[in-house]
Amino acid sequence: MRIVVEKRGRVAVVSVEGSVDGTTAGELTAALHGQVSGGARDLVIDIAGVDYMSSAGLRALLETVKEARKQGGDLRPAAARPEVLRVLDLSGFTSILQVFPDVDSAVASFPA
Amino acid sequence: MENVSAFRAFVEDACRRAGVDESVCFDLKLAVDEACSNLVVHGYKGRQPGPIGVSFAREGDEIVIIITDHAPPFHPDDAPLPRLDAPASERRPGGLGWHMIKQLVDRLEYDSDTENGNRLRMVKKVVPLQNG
Repeated sequence: MRIVVEKRGRVAVVSVEGSVDGTTAGELTAALHGQVSGGARDLVIDIAGVDYMSSAGLRALLETVKEARKQGGDLRPAAARPEVLRVLDLSGFTSILQVFPDVDSAVASFPA
Repeated sequence: MENVSAFRAFVEDACRRAGVDESVCFDLKLAVDEACSNLVVHGYKGRQPGPIGVSFAREGDEIVIIITDHAPPFHPDDAPLPRLDAPASERRPGGLGWHMIKQLVDRLEYDSDTENGNRLRMVKKVVPLQNG
């Protein structure tokens, strides 16, 4: 798994590549929480490069979105591949997270 | 957990050999991952890690995956139902594995005995192989 963080105005775009599973989810949680605790409460997670996600990855997203919302921000996934979108759907995450088809629209969804 | 990745790679390879399409392969990898991760995290928790076996077979228009273990028995029917409609603040991490497995395969069978341990049989229907 590879994680790259880029700031677009107030929004931190966290791009993830590879598999998010029991071995890598901890690293993702740490990276996302690092952003929130560092003051970036508006987060977009670009998962275009994620080819696999298990419930361990969902836990990373859930823990982060709870933390971000406590701070008045949010975590918004973008550009999920169909298989990963299905995982989000099966787990009910598409009803608790705002999911966007691409990074630009996810970034634009936050107040400027 | 590294072993769980190895099981996933095994399923991916077996799917390719069995001519299973990619979306079915994704579902089977995820189902095996969730079942084996549960065994590592919960089943063998607090005890010596025990063996986990995964077998894969194509039987006509069905893929049959059998996972064996010697952890304390846990019947899939006993898994708590996650509250999928709860808001994020009330959602609990975890508890999703069994829910996802039940969505990803068509049939689950579970049996257990003291001699052979536990046996989870997961069956998923696939498109019949085309002749020629």
